[in-house]
Amino acid sequence: MKKNRVIHVLLTSALTAGLLAGCGSSAAPSAPADQTAEQAGKAEETAGEAETEQEPAEESAAAGEPVKLRMAWWGSQNRHDKTIAAIELYESLHPEVTFEYEYYSFDDYFTKLNTLVASDQVWDVFQLGGNFPMYMDKIHPLDEFIASGVVDVSKISESNLKTTQTTEGVQLGLTNGINTYGIAYDPQLFEEAGAVLPTEDWTWEDYQAAADKITDELGIFGSSTFLNSDFIAGCSTFIPQQGELGQYSFFNLDLTGMGFDDPAMLAPYIQMRADMIAHGSYPDAGASAEVTNIENDFLVTGEAAMTWVAVNQFPTIYNVCQEQGRTLALAPLPRVEKDGNAGATIQSSQMLCVSEDSEQKEAAAAFISWFENDIDCNNILQAERGIPANEDVRAALSANTTEGQKIMYDYVDRASKLPMPEEYNVLSPDGQNEVQDNYLNYIQQVASGELTAEEAAQKTYDDASAIFK
Amino acid sequence: MNGNTAVAGKGRLYRFIHHDNTVGHIFALPFIFGFVMFSLIPILMSLNYSFTDFSLGTKQADYIGLQNFARLFQDEVFGKSILKTLQYVLISVPLKLSFALLVAFVLTRPTKLVTLYRSLYYLPSLVGGSVAVALVWKQLFARRGLFNAIALSLGLPKVNWFGDAALAIYPLILMSVWQFGSSMIIFAAGLKEIPVSLYEAAEIDGANGWQRFFRITLPMLSPIILYNLIMQTISAFMTFTQAFVITGGGPNNATMLYALNVYNQAFKYNKMGYACAMSWSMLVVMSAVTLVIFKTSRHWVFNEAES
Repeated sequence: MKKNRVIHVLLTSALTAGLLAGCGSSAAPSAPADQTAEQAGKAEETAGEAETEQEPAEESAAAGEPVKLRMAWWGSQNRHDKTIAAIELYESLHPEVTFEYEYYSFDDYFTKLNTLVASDQVWDVFQLGGNFPMYMDKIHPLDEFIASGVVDVSKISESNLKTTQTTEGVQLGLTNGINTYGIAYDPQLFEEAGAVLPTEDWTWEDYQAAADKITDELGIFGSSTFLNSDFIAGCSTFIPQQGELGQYSFFNLDLTGMGFDDPAMLAPYIQMRADMIAHGSYPDAGASAEVTNIENDFLVTGEAAMTWVAVNQFPTIYNVCQEQGRTLALAPLPRVEKDGNAGATIQSSQMLCVSEDSEQKEAAAAFISWFENDIDCNNILQAERGIPANEDVRAALSANTTEGQKIMYDYVDRASKLPMPEEYNVLSPDGQNEVQDNYLNYIQQVASGELTAEEAAQKTYDDASAIFK
Repeated sequence: MNGNTAVAGKGRLYRFIHHDNTVGHIFALPFIFGFVMFSLIPILMSLNYSFTDFSLGTKQADYIGLQNFARLFQDEVFGKSILKTLQYVLISVPLKLSFALLVAFVLTRPTKLVTLYRSLYYLPSLVGGSVAVALVWKQLFARRGLFNAIALSLGLPKVNWFGDAALAIYPLILMSVWQFGSSMIIFAAGLKEIPVSLYEAAEIDGANGWQRFFRITLPMLSPIILYNLIMQTISAFMTFTQAFVITGGGPNNATMLYALNVYNQAFKYNKMGYACAMSWSMLVVMSAVTLVIFKTSRHWVFNEAES
């Protein structure tokens, strides 16, 4: 008897639940009543098709049915917090959309992405930087969504759109921000050590002299580690700084070979790094391994007087140091010669892309459009990924900037006025990671006397040209 | 109705289902499924990929014959990682085993706290492979870590453990030695198996403690030593976490253990095919080392049946 009653209760509740669910779906919110039935039918149809043909059911997004978007990015804790807040805002504005997000450090992000590429399960919305060429198969271009109006690019200038296009003009994604590189430093420490402050046209020799002086006087690193960026700062910048404007680049413009012929052009930089490590003014490999992201960089911990930054990182460390009672400043990258090329480029920091594996491509594209264009969203994000490409957003943000952001805006403004080659390429070919790791090892071998700088330059050149064989 | 007629009556299907073989395989099915899906098939796929230029990023896989294996011989980092891994194995395994044996030997004394001590010493083995412990290790040996703080307070010079290519591997070896627990438990079990009568007889004959240890304990324990030696050698060859978390292979590849190099090639440099070739080369090396240990074992492993 008791058993029967339990079953009875279960059956009734199941029935009620079914009825409730039925009511819920028939009263589909937010869509005009006359369209609802038609669309619901359509959605069912497409859902049916999707099951049989494995076609992405994009229409289901338009019909106001629940959409689940998977998204991922890399960055620091600051970025994670801000991005999650922005996602939550989007979810509150679009109740039908829910997010499953994941965030990683840079290296871990690409490890995870690679495994997802292999299993055809790349996140619906994902972040890519200058190494996108190797993920081309997984990027669903935005052109069709721009044409249909899902993605709004009306407030993004042509040149900013171009930063995330292929050479054929295919729009791969929308840039998260415009970026360039610089040296963040603590003027107070320079003055204590009696070192010469960086200028707008300082050279690598000035940089090394200042670093050595700071180490001699204060017993801290003159310059913090550039981590993997030493390859970008060292090779990708040092080469175009030589010769005529635009004469040389590390890789050639279409990433099919090298952009310079003489490996000896690299040797002075490698020599400088090795000398600085030997002198103690630049962290050796052991110390470098202690720095895992910009928030525990030696400049921030007070163990170094300067460090290399992508300028979108500057406001973050500026704020942290401000809490410690220190004021950071931002200087351009040192040059080879005082009146030579600056070697700096204005580029896209990263972009958000829609994945080819996504079954919700339109919803994903709509989110990207909102993420880059919405002022409320960008008020949360605070240009942490770089200076926004949308002019209205830029205007809104610059109305109330923090001190660190103001320095960043001014810096990018100055940098964009420097003479730059008409065409340049900031992309990394597949295989650059290995060249980079080997390059860092060669520097250590030069520091320990196993190699000469010339040999290290030759080996780096050979490694890099081997990519294209 | 008795059982036999029931079986006979229900025919071949019933007999098939109730046959020991069928039942056994059904119970083993979860393991067989897991083994085939997650071990056997991936292993065979990796053998296949080792002859291709498969890359996770672009997903291309073209057959390139033995080129991957040929390239190993020109790869500087590969050569260095082999040497460093051998150094790691040759130092860490003997140290770990002798330490485990020592502690196991001390803990055979019948005191009440033995079980507690055993559990305590076993703890590092439980948590040892974890990222958390590796991070702690990294902090202990860091430039401003605990060990350097102690050294400074004693008036000794600071040691740059992870910045010096000659030193960097020793903290990793120490971490592996510290995880002697599982070998220790096996040794302790082995020590209990040695008949007390042997020791009593030796004592009557006037053998001292050293003689008893070297003439009775070691020979009687040698099969267990062989087992531990092989297990620990294999796991030492596969060490990954320490190198990945603590040093990342640096400085100047001084801690580039083989497994880390394979990981880098596969996931960082996107050369999955090459990494598969490296794994299979490692399998050959490890099999060779294990074979050598087995072959030499007949000279030093005591076998009661033969004597």
